[in-house]
Amino acid sequence: MKYTKLFLLATTAFFASCSDDDNTIPMTDDDQGTDPVIEAPLTYNFERDGATTVDFNGQTTRILMAEEIVDALLDFDNTTAESLLAKFNHEEGVANFEDTDLNASSKNLSSKTAASRDYFATNTAEAATIRATFEEYLERQVTDIFPGELEIASPGVAGQLADGSATRWVDGNGLEFNQLWTKGMIGALMTDQMLNNYLSVAVLDETDNRANNNEAVLAEGKNYTTMEHKWDEAYGYLFGTSQDTANPLATLGADDSFLNKYLGRVESDADFAGIAQEIYDAFKLGRAAIVGRDYELRDQQAAIIREAVSEIIAIRAVYYLQQGKNGIEAENYGTAFHDISEGWGFIYSLRFTRDTVNDAPYFTREEVDGMLTALMADGDNGLWDITPETLDAISAQIAAKFSFTIEQAGSTN
Amino acid sequence: MIKKCLSIVLAAIVIACSSSDDPAPDNNNGGTDPTDDGPIASFDRSAMLTNWADNIIVPAYEEFLATAEALQQQIDNFNVNTTEDNLNLLRDSWLTAYKSFQWVSMFEIGPAEDARFRARLNTYPADAATIDDFRTTGVYNFELPSNIDAQGFPAFDYMLFGLADTDAAILEFYTTDASASIAKIYLQDLATAMTGLAQQVLNEWNSGFATSFKANTDASANGSIDKLTNDYIFYYEKALRAGKIGIPAGVFSTDPLPGNVEAFYNQEVSRELVLEALQAAQNFFNGNGNGTGNGRGFKSYLDFLNTIKNGEDLSTLINDQFDLARTEIEELSNNFVSQIQSNNTAMLEAYDELQRNVILIKVDMLQALSIDVDFVDTDGD
Repeated sequence: MKYTKLFLLATTAFFASCSDDDNTIPMTDDDQGTDPVIEAPLTYNFERDGATTVDFNGQTTRILMAEEIVDALLDFDNTTAESLLAKFNHEEGVANFEDTDLNASSKNLSSKTAASRDYFATNTAEAATIRATFEEYLERQVTDIFPGELEIASPGVAGQLADGSATRWVDGNGLEFNQLWTKGMIGALMTDQMLNNYLSVAVLDETDNRANNNEAVLAEGKNYTTMEHKWDEAYGYLFGTSQDTANPLATLGADDSFLNKYLGRVESDADFAGIAQEIYDAFKLGRAAIVGRDYELRDQQAAIIREAVSEIIAIRAVYYLQQGKNGIEAENYGTAFHDISEGWGFIYSLRFTRDTVNDAPYFTREEVDGMLTALMADGDNGLWDITPETLDAISAQIAAKFSFTIEQAGSTN
Repeated sequence: MIKKCLSIVLAAIVIACSSSDDPAPDNNNGGTDPTDDGPIASFDRSAMLTNWADNIIVPAYEEFLATAEALQQQIDNFNVNTTEDNLNLLRDSWLTAYKSFQWVSMFEIGPAEDARFRARLNTYPADAATIDDFRTTGVYNFELPSNIDAQGFPAFDYMLFGLADTDAAILEFYTTDASASIAKIYLQDLATAMTGLAQQVLNEWNSGFATSFKANTDASANGSIDKLTNDYIFYYEKALRAGKIGIPAGVFSTDPLPGNVEAFYNQEVSRELVLEALQAAQNFFNGNGNGTGNGRGFKSYLDFLNTIKNGEDLSTLINDQFDLARTEIEELSNNFVSQIQSNNTAMLEAYDELQRNVILIKVDMLQALSIDVDFVDTDGD
């Protein structure tokens, strides 16, 4: 019984240390300058003249659009390649979605896929290739996977595989295109927009943003400065669908199928516990720094977020490769292929990470393509032939650039 | 912060469990070496595996196969003489087989694992819409992973109890209904699939798997003891604790899910089934089956190692905890749906008693036996 008590003590202490979020007095945005020490508010709650200055509705909209695609990818009866592409390339007023608010929106996913200022403004050729890849995943879900809806998959034959009590639908190479798309979007949309666009100095300080922020000149018709808004948009790609967007960690992991979900997964691994608070704190302090006009402090917080979010992607890539290895060794192909398909998406996402030492992705396009090619290269039938050695080699290649070990990333404890 | 607290907790666990350094007494658990008068060198793992395979597992599959065949006969009988009396006989044989199934469900290793035995015979809640489609079109493939919730015991549950509110109305689905003849074939096919699975697993145990299982005495992740122990704990944690009590009681969801009880359409036997499963799990812990076994099992292994926790034999603590869980479950209504709706707290209390044994078995017992957990919670996505 001794340890049960201690366990209780430990959890109590943990809760106690985190339960001081009842102070939700917002930071007033025009108060700055009087206090030389900038402090983050307890929640992501910023106001000016008694009204909130926080807005990331465009990010919430895009996450919700992506969620509808996730559902549609396995809707065998109603989905066509055309309907998937139309959702991805939505045009204002077209009834592509079940949610009518999304149909009315002028926003879409494809225009923000591989579209960050820092990585793609002068790299439109690669951006076009990336968008084409995501469209190909959508199309192949219908052309390659759907015909096997009621078949049992085997090498070279698309169909179903059991993953515990779940059913997975794979192509002849064992790939789940819905997983490739979903996990790939975490990099190409959420991470790229956050780290390489909205947290970028080029965007935050664009034209007269800094002067306007210094003088509290608001964006036209808005209650925020443009710089404040850019920062909020970065925040929205992680917490835009949280139940309580100002205090999002309470429901972390349950609020979307993308970055929020996998920050939650990484946070629940004892090896990485604390990373969610670190990111949340950096977002709050960076936003407070904008209010307080301390741009050095702002950029320090951006760097913290860039490192931590990049790490989420790398950890999950290694995690799924290692889980896939376990599945291959146990000949649980449904489980293994599902894990490796998720891993594929996270590897694809590595190209959108941000190493703050050289302001470049941790892995180049060529390196990422090399890893993905290797996943398919152990035999004629893709994942059906993949070896534990290949999965270990790619895991090692990824982990080598980060401070975690394969063992830490490869399990959830 | 979390890490620090965790390591304190872990240290406490280690302290609490590390008092097994006394030379183990001979307590008649199969560890004696006749040529050695000194302290016993090691537990007889081979003898335990033999007891598991020959005295517990194979007889349990034989018994299950017999009950599944009896069910099949009742279906043949019902399909010829489709009367209310025969419907009730069929229902009785379904329950008998369902209870017998609780004695094999935990052995998801080797042939059963390959066949996805548990998933195919007892995934619930049943998918009533899909079953309606199958029993009216006659087009189905039980091998497909996506059809696991339209076959096995839960499908029978729906077909025998859930098609209508009264027995007379249920009978009409097999007599006057336009699809009656297809429905009868579907019943037969459900039973054929079930006996086929039982026969297949039993055959493989008898034609080589038991031999290799018993021979693989390795103390490693690939050894039979490590593997079956993990399968046993996985079963106890996921299928018994969570599946039969925790999930319907809402432990893993925002609200309780009364539609997820085992045998939902029958409504009267959920408690009976979980009690049967609990007895099977406890008997296996004690090295016994359903009236079979010689006692070589986890209990005797722990006693051989003289595993003490807080001054008590760990095996006694685990058995006491099985008994406590049984007492809690016996106090529940035999109808879990009404139990959840009227007093779900009692369900949660039963869950808590089951959960306490997860800690004793998965943490303390595995540490004493030097077995690593080989499964993790899946992502659920």
